[in-house]
Amino acid sequence: MIGGHRKSKHVLAFADADVDLVPMIDCIFLLLLFFMLCGRITIDQRVEQITVPPTKTATKPEIPAGWEHYVINVYGSTQGGHPPRNTVRINNQNFTSSGQDDYQSYIKLRQVLDQLYDRSEKLPDTKNPALMLPKVVLEIRADADTEYRVVQEIQQVVSDSIDPNNGMKPHAVDPKLMKPFVYLLFTTRKPTDK
Amino acid sequence: MAEDFSDKLSEGKLDLVPMIDCIMLLLLFFILTTKFTAEEKAIASLLPTDKGQAPTPQTKPVEPPKQINICIFPETMGKGFQPSEYQNKLQALKKDGPGGEILANALMRIGGDEPMMVVGAQMKVRGSLELQKLMDGVHTYIFQALAQRENASAATRKDQDPVVINCFSGLSWKFAIIAYDAVREYEAVKAGSKMASDPKMWGQAREIEFAPPRIRNYSAKELGEELYEIVNMQ
Repeated sequence: MIGGHRKSKHVLAFADADVDLVPMIDCIFLLLLFFMLCGRITIDQRVEQITVPPTKTATKPEIPAGWEHYVINVYGSTQGGHPPRNTVRINNQNFTSSGQDDYQSYIKLRQVLDQLYDRSEKLPDTKNPALMLPKVVLEIRADADTEYRVVQEIQQVVSDSIDPNNGMKPHAVDPKLMKPFVYLLFTTRKPTDK
Repeated sequence: MAEDFSDKLSEGKLDLVPMIDCIMLLLLFFILTTKFTAEEKAIASLLPTDKGQAPTPQTKPVEPPKQINICIFPETMGKGFQPSEYQNKLQALKKDGPGGEILANALMRIGGDEPMMVVGAQMKVRGSLELQKLMDGVHTYIFQALAQRENASAATRKDQDPVVINCFSGLSWKFAIIAYDAVREYEAVKAGSKMASDPKMWGQAREIEFAPPRIRNYSAKELGEELYEIVNMQ
């Protein structure tokens, strides 16, 4: 057949209206349902993305059985040139402070922590048995460019050392009145992580 | 109209094309805009070796414990100035600075050792050679300094002098955590294995702390004072 074309005898029935579309629609519905239920639209979350700092010793947390684990997200570059604001998120609740003298985010964070403390299982502190420590591991997941002051203050609020309701002044030292969280982790990434 | 529809339905000639078009569009939208975010707890974390910063009762001895201070302060703020001069320098930076991160680089110093430079920009590029070099440099610097200050009489790692990280509050968090990371790795090497992941065991490790804020009721007017203390700390 040099220089010629063999004409196919097989004719596809594209024009045939009896093509069964039902299996295809079934599949599409399943896919659609899957993405609608399992997916998370991230368009609005881009401004809240956190780039955690790199460390060599980054490890995945292994929370022992019987312990609770909560993450405190700390967003926002508070460096010069921008308004000094920060947002703290715990339990899917966002709390924002609008300036250096605004402690709203810390006040709300402490309220959530107080509730968490009251309902969690506790064990006595080895150094000071009167102090009851909750069996909760708190993970602080702060952006690498967040001002260190913010992370520092959150550590203090979490350990109940300062009182955000009282202008960030030192808290009472009576162990019975304190609700400290002392088991802390800091989220980081491996330097090689892309 | 109703008859037409029932006729088509009974004949199996219902036009499904518009519906399929819509479904395809929806499907495409969700495929393109969806992102399956990793569970937060699955992200790598750094386990502290101390129990945090719970306040100690007043009944404890008052004398200050011996400790190793790691001081981190802005590159442009060396020794030899008064608090008011540091304050003026910071204000000038904020006023005339390029915007964004005005304190881009930091100096890290242990005790009276020569400080080392930590370039903030090198920490931004993921997986870069510069980042690897920077981290190796910081770890080597801290390893050497801590090795010189090993307390030979300490029976366990917990008995070693605590390490306190004093970072200027206006710097980025990344400068403080990189120092913490190096001390943590040093301790992991010294202890013979990685730190125990069980929080109940953390109390047996050497204490590594982030110093509490020097300014309790934070005010930008006191930053010069804070900087003066950190720069001149031994």
